[in-house]
Amino acid sequence: MSQQPVVIEKDIRGQICPSSLLLALREINQQFDRLEAGDLEIVVLTDNRDATGTIPATVENMGLHAEIEKIAGYYRVVVKK
Amino acid sequence: METEFVTVFGGLFCLGLTAGFFMHRSDFCLAGALRDLFLFRSARLIRPLVFAVAVSALLFELARLTGLLPYYPFPGFGVPAGATLVGGFVFGVGMVLTGACVVGVLYKLGGGSLLAGVGLLGLIVGSGLYAEIHPYWQPLAKASRWHEQAVTLPQLTGTSPTGWALGLAGAGFLLCAIWWQQGKWSQGYTPEGFVPLWLTAGIIAILSLLALLLSGVPMGITTSYAKFAAGVEQLFVPEHVAATEFFTARAFQLAPPPIGRVLTGGGGPQFDVIALIQYPLIVGIPLGAFFSALRLGEFKPHWKVPVGQALMVFCGGIIMAFGSRLAPGCNVWHLLGGLPLLTMQSLLFLAGLLPGAWVGSRLLQKFLV
Repeated sequence: MSQQPVVIEKDIRGQICPSSLLLALREINQQFDRLEAGDLEIVVLTDNRDATGTIPATVENMGLHAEIEKIAGYYRVVVKK
Repeated sequence: METEFVTVFGGLFCLGLTAGFFMHRSDFCLAGALRDLFLFRSARLIRPLVFAVAVSALLFELARLTGLLPYYPFPGFGVPAGATLVGGFVFGVGMVLTGACVVGVLYKLGGGSLLAGVGLLGLIVGSGLYAEIHPYWQPLAKASRWHEQAVTLPQLTGTSPTGWALGLAGAGFLLCAIWWQQGKWSQGYTPEGFVPLWLTAGIIAILSLLALLLSGVPMGITTSYAKFAAGVEQLFVPEHVAATEFFTARAFQLAPPPIGRVLTGGGGPQFDVIALIQYPLIVGIPLGAFFSALRLGEFKPHWKVPVGQALMVFCGGIIMAFGSRLAPGCNVWHLLGGLPLLTMQSLLFLAGLLPGAWVGSRLLQKFLV
């Protein structure tokens, strides 16, 4: 039976541009092996509209995948394998 | 108030509303354009900037040829000086640390960013602090002049501005076409209500032309931040304001076309021609962004922000204000107003802005990560 991936959540709402991408990248680089193995998902909560374009583009270049959902006025970006 | 004054004020307010709305929808951040180039090696936000400059070069020249442009070059643009290079550099560092430029803080504040408000506060404080060193900087700035008469490259070379404008616009459009062919304008995922960056850039260029026709100068707002600082100081130390040269001088002269007579203005707290053409933009841009954010259900100010980040943004605002006064002028004034006309001051500002943004990006990375 496959295990559910561990979820790390980063709340970047209210922070300056480009905190969302910079802090997401820091986390991704630190946990890349676990992300690539599918053991981990990184969730970024952001109100930065620009980050909904830059995070997916960046992680896709790293062979990862991003899903975005709008929730109550902010965006939830899930980075995973 | 005379109808002509209402026309100028009301017209510019509407331009500000429109600019704020579209800048929020596209998150068209001019600070991000240079920052991301150095931080992420991404030219994504440089492309709309190039498009806006190319469209503006074409529109400004068309307006000049048809006699619609009230001034050539615009008042407020001086002869080239090393001071502008220094100002551009300082501005670039401050802009990146603030997370937005002088206009960016306005649309981001309207969109609900409280840190943008902190940056705005830094801009006002910095503008007030600059007034104290202005008498010492002014002689240095004068001594650093490279030419005594020519303001634009066409003036320096004694050639027609038309060829230069067509060359600049042509080069810009060619670059944009190459990017389009390479698929680099596509955005991938876009947030709700997103307006393509090229479209917002084109709208901003048209708004710049309309601002020129209404006021006689391109969009700019930084002197008003000094006026706000002077207004606050006036409440507590009026005698100091009266003795501060930067606040008492009314050196700026402008005849907004609908008014048709010369008005003066300066950095002091009084309502003058600078207030007439800048205050409506300062109120309109955040209101336009607020309306956009409200319509999207995204106006949700978030109070829990790292204190260190707020301090960095505040200091960034102070540094950016210093840069805009040392130059003088901000990135919007120089890149969207002066560059399309190839004013040498704006080219020097850009030459300083690039290394400044690089230094700012390195510092930002150190502070944030």
